[in-house]
Amino acid sequence: MKLGIGARITAVFGLGALILSILMGGLSYFTVRHFLLAGRESTDQHQAFTNANLVRTSLQSGDTGYVVLLSNIDAGTGAHSVLYHRAKTYDSSLAVTAASIPHELRKVVLSGTAATQTYRNPEGTAEIVIGVPIPSVHAEYFEVFDLSDLDHTLRVLALALFAAGGITTILGIALGRFASTRSLRPLAVVSRAAGAIAAGDLDTRLDLEAADPDLEGFTLSFNAMVDQLQERIEREARFNSDVSHELRSPLTTLAAAMEVLETDREALPPRSQRALQLLSDDLRRFQRMVGDLLEMSRAEAGSVDIFFEEVQVAELVQRSVETGFGHMVARGPGTGAPPYVDVDPAVRSWWVGVDKRRFERVMVNLMENANHYGGGVTGVAVRPARTVDAGLSDDKRVEVIVDDEGPGIDPLERTKVFERFYRGSASGRRGTGTGTGLGLALVAEHMHVMRGEVRVESSPAGGARFVLTLPVLPDDDGDDGDDGDDGVHGDGPGGDA
Amino acid sequence: MSGRILVVEDDERIRSSMRLALEGEGYEVRDAASGEEGLDMFAEAPPDVALIDLMLPGMDGFECCRALRRSSAVPIIIVTARSDTHDVVAGLEAGADDYVTKPFVAKELAARIRALLRRARPAEEEPGALTFGDLQLLPEQGVLRHLNGDEVHCTRTEFRLLCELAASPNKVLSREQLLDRVWGYDYFGDGRLVDVHIRRLRTKVEVDPAVPQHILTVRGMGYKLVP
Repeated sequence: MKLGIGARITAVFGLGALILSILMGGLSYFTVRHFLLAGRESTDQHQAFTNANLVRTSLQSGDTGYVVLLSNIDAGTGAHSVLYHRAKTYDSSLAVTAASIPHELRKVVLSGTAATQTYRNPEGTAEIVIGVPIPSVHAEYFEVFDLSDLDHTLRVLALALFAAGGITTILGIALGRFASTRSLRPLAVVSRAAGAIAAGDLDTRLDLEAADPDLEGFTLSFNAMVDQLQERIEREARFNSDVSHELRSPLTTLAAAMEVLETDREALPPRSQRALQLLSDDLRRFQRMVGDLLEMSRAEAGSVDIFFEEVQVAELVQRSVETGFGHMVARGPGTGAPPYVDVDPAVRSWWVGVDKRRFERVMVNLMENANHYGGGVTGVAVRPARTVDAGLSDDKRVEVIVDDEGPGIDPLERTKVFERFYRGSASGRRGTGTGTGLGLALVAEHMHVMRGEVRVESSPAGGARFVLTLPVLPDDDGDDGDDGDDGVHGDGPGGDA
Repeated sequence: MSGRILVVEDDERIRSSMRLALEGEGYEVRDAASGEEGLDMFAEAPPDVALIDLMLPGMDGFECCRALRRSSAVPIIIVTARSDTHDVVAGLEAGADDYVTKPFVAKELAARIRALLRRARPAEEEPGALTFGDLQLLPEQGVLRHLNGDEVHCTRTEFRLLCELAASPNKVLSREQLLDRVWGYDYFGDGRLVDVHIRRLRTKVEVDPAVPQHILTVRGMGYKLVP
């Protein structure tokens, strides 16, 4: 697993603090230990020599009470003494005997040199032994001092240093965390900005004033990049829109002139009539394409003129299908009656907020799509969306279903059909290619603008089923309409058990 | 149906084809290539309907509309290349009665002209004289006046809109109903036409247009006239 930069910075800070505290702690421990021990040694040596002197005086005078003397020395200093004299040992207490004296030390002292050794006795107590040879009376004097107080001091010191090291390490980790969050904060800002740009807000820029001085160059180049991107996108959108606009003028002339010709078509010879028919059919298609392109570029440029109205969904769909079908018949091949609209009684009183003309375009485009690729619309239905969350009226959505009797749409193509100029595997089938390639893309665009969605699935009969979903407006008043709702909710208190 | 139409359009080819198409529909057409020329022609021989392109060199279509409105209640249709909210609404605010978007179908344009030229359709209940506030509406004479006799000038479309509302006082009329009865549109007509005209009407009949007393909005439903 790869560690994130934040985790790595934190780890480095923590490790640094740990190493540093070990070094500092170790250094101070050993320095303090050295000084304390050296001081203690010199004090004890001094005392041992003084005591050895007393012992020598006592031995030289032939006084045999040196055992008492040793006890006296012990009592005065808290230390224990051992005396070797003429192959005999004398010790002052039961705790320290001749066996306590390290062998090597004794050898050194026997050779006539005073020596000192620190060691830990079998009970675990630190002790210092100082040996002093007294050659004038052929004796060696040893004095054993207890170091457990010093030992205790050093232990407390080590504990304190250890705790300080731990705290330092934790502080280092915290500092690392803080530093990494702090140093990654500009990145979070950039990430937010990039996200906003990707979501379509091209005016987003990084704030040069608020930016870290060290990141000024980065901020500048990021903003320059977005400037370029925005300019390019806008230039493209402008170009699309300009092209379509420029096409409108000649199209207007063509359309008006064509209508004059069509009015007089009876006067033309049959060959010219057929030519006129071809011309007018393709002119209509051309007009439709330019219209669709303009609609698309307007939607993209964001200058969408949207006129929301609150309407009853059932009436909206009914009317859209009727007039939409009328327009469709008028401008292309299409016959028969408009498809039947099946309205679920549950949605009778539901209102939606839509741009009616956009919704009509959606229905027309879906019906045209069905005509081109799906053998015509077999049915339109309005019903509550299946995902209705009964508890929240805000989430109430209505579904409009348009079924055709074609071969259906391959699951792999179901999102692609909403891309512009996408020609699926079905395109070859009809051959005539009367569509503009923008119809379903516009459906998706319009539904998106109206806070709705469109998806495609299979109809039970195997054809394509386009499903539009729209949010339902909450009821204005509780007592408004809804009186025809004969107890479909099972939450009444008087339900028959 | 016949009538005189003034076409103000800078593109010569569009102008010619519009003339051909409209003449084919039986109208008498005069055309002008600029707003200034159009105003001159209007002064010479006032037409029954004026068709004004919004994008004109020199004096633009909005200015041309406003200039015409200062002196006349003639029905005006604006021709726009963009149906963006701003252009259409601005054109309507400038005094236009209706709009068509390029490229338009001549038959559609002819239908719009017919709707504007048609006299107020005799409603089921022909509105009699109605008094509201200090105003008196006389549909028969086509007159709206203050009780002191001063006439309130409004365009034909505004007047017909007021008559429709007055035909059933206190009853809510939806945008669709108004679009159908005044402009001859179906369910999918542009609701902005109604909204802008109501707004203009309020500046003429309400004491404070921001707080209307007579022409009221019923949210989600439409408009109603309260005498």
